[in-house]
Amino acid sequence: MQLAEYRTSRWQDLRRQTGIVLAYFAQFLKMRLAYRVDFLVDLGANLFAIGVQLATLGVLFSKVPALKGWSFESVLFIYGFSLLPLGLFNLISINLYRFAERYIAEGNLDRVLLRPVNPLAQVLCESFNMSGLNELLLGTGVMIYAANQLELAVGPLDILVLLVLVPSAAVIYASVFLMVTAVSFWHEDRMGLAPPIYNVIRFARYPLTIYGKGVQIFLMFVLPFAWVAYMPATWFVGDAEQTRWALLTPLVAVLFGGLAMMVWRAGLRRYESTGN
Amino acid sequence: MAPLITVQRLTKDYHLTDRREGVLGGMVDLVRPQKRMLRAVDDVSFTIDPGEMVGYIGANGAGKSTTIKMLTGILTPTSGEVRVGGLVPYRQRQSYTRHIGVVFGQRTQLWWDLAVVESFRLLQRIYEVPEARYREQMTFFNELLGIDEFLHQPVRKLSLGQRMRCDLAAALLHEPRVLFLDEPTIGLDVVAKENVRGFLRQAREQLGVTVILTTHDLTDIEQLCRRIIIIDHGKVMYNGLLEDLRRGPGHKLRLCLDLAEPVAPAELQAACAHLPVEWAETEGADRTPVLRHCALFSRSETNAATILAAVLAAHRLRDMALTEPAIEDVVRRIYREGLVPAPEALG
Repeated sequence: MQLAEYRTSRWQDLRRQTGIVLAYFAQFLKMRLAYRVDFLVDLGANLFAIGVQLATLGVLFSKVPALKGWSFESVLFIYGFSLLPLGLFNLISINLYRFAERYIAEGNLDRVLLRPVNPLAQVLCESFNMSGLNELLLGTGVMIYAANQLELAVGPLDILVLLVLVPSAAVIYASVFLMVTAVSFWHEDRMGLAPPIYNVIRFARYPLTIYGKGVQIFLMFVLPFAWVAYMPATWFVGDAEQTRWALLTPLVAVLFGGLAMMVWRAGLRRYESTGN
Repeated sequence: MAPLITVQRLTKDYHLTDRREGVLGGMVDLVRPQKRMLRAVDDVSFTIDPGEMVGYIGANGAGKSTTIKMLTGILTPTSGEVRVGGLVPYRQRQSYTRHIGVVFGQRTQLWWDLAVVESFRLLQRIYEVPEARYREQMTFFNELLGIDEFLHQPVRKLSLGQRMRCDLAAALLHEPRVLFLDEPTIGLDVVAKENVRGFLRQAREQLGVTVILTTHDLTDIEQLCRRIIIIDHGKVMYNGLLEDLRRGPGHKLRLCLDLAEPVAPAELQAACAHLPVEWAETEGADRTPVLRHCALFSRSETNAATILAAVLAAHRLRDMALTEPAIEDVVRRIYREGLVPAPEALG
């Protein structure tokens, strides 16, 4: 008896898998809405955290009128922008943090490997963190407020650029944490790296030019968090040269995304050869 | 008939790192880890025909799970090859997984927080099961497993038995050609076990699925499988019919006789002296008359009728019972002694 080998075009396969991912998401949303209280508590906690961060910015700028030439409103805009890719990423990142425990130690990765769907897509979509939606919402609000204060002229092109830059920046977040996650294929030491790295994100919300050269290079090329907020946001609030740099964000996303996929795949291959 | 599954010289090595004792040992471990190789599966070969239900048995750590993981494509072998219907599981995994169903008794394949029906809907999408077929399948599953009553409960609220019924249905929804069952009755009560076995029989008949079953509960094997493969220390110890294993020369049947009057064992044994029969020890000495006597014999040497005739010639019989060797004993013997059975009687 022969079993058919499924040979579909990449495009068909992508369409099928996207459909599945959306179905996962719809399921999860439905489930979460059943717990309305949780949802409201999440929203409250998020509002509070973001409020505290905004207040910090406010206090800072009440003492100094500008940071290396960056006005309060510009910094506020960058901060608002930073919440959008972070929100997108947080939406799907929850299983990356508990990957070592849930998927490797508890053996859930075996189940994932037994289904004809991309393993990474399954891991990312088996749980969603709805607080990501709050960040998207609040980030948009802060950005619109700052843009109004700055009297930015926002045209259709800007919106289009925003729609490219935000997902690109989210891919950069995901790439960094995917690489951190993939380490658990080699080391049992669980995710000890993630929290300190997560903290670095805070630095990336301020204009890069306030830091020394070393930190700038580090944030651009090593832990590329410069590209998740400041660099892309300069399309809107930077000068002409910075604006051009902003457009490199998708390229950085592709580079780091590719690198992360390589590490992830190597990890999966190792899992397939060593088991759990 | 061409086999559906061909396993050839399959071998899997694990590299383990041993930890040294103490703090100092831990530091040495950092610099020079102690590596050790463990051969979990050792040169295993077998074939399985379409529609067969084969029991794959072995003690903990015998290499069962490792074999199953290679057969399902989760693990890549160190050497050797697996082919299932022409596909190589670990190389063509995404194609291959559409043709198989897997149930792990220890953990569910369903989404913990989703209602059962939502899990099925997701699986329908993943395996692209047409709506009409989906409905037919669900009707079939409900008839046999009665899953309708908890279809709208989240998986985490189900009892173990209910969960297993759902897992079985989920594994078969896309009509796989091969079903892998790893301890499907573990932790279930007697009734639930019976339900699972009944369902598996039906599923095999009606869906024609080929089943590989690993279990600790040898009753599962007795009731479901004609053929078994026994693995120990990574090697195949036995591959053949369960019946043959049981009828093998070293595996003795037990014939217990309840006589009408007490008879001394020595006297009864004298009556059967010409037969290749061993007598199980009776309580009391040889000379004390007792009612019950048990004879152990091998099918290849004599049979119950001959023994009965010899006994009846001298004594009156009230009742009798003939017991097959327990499959547990047979398997235990294979672990202990390999396939060549020792001549001594089963106790």
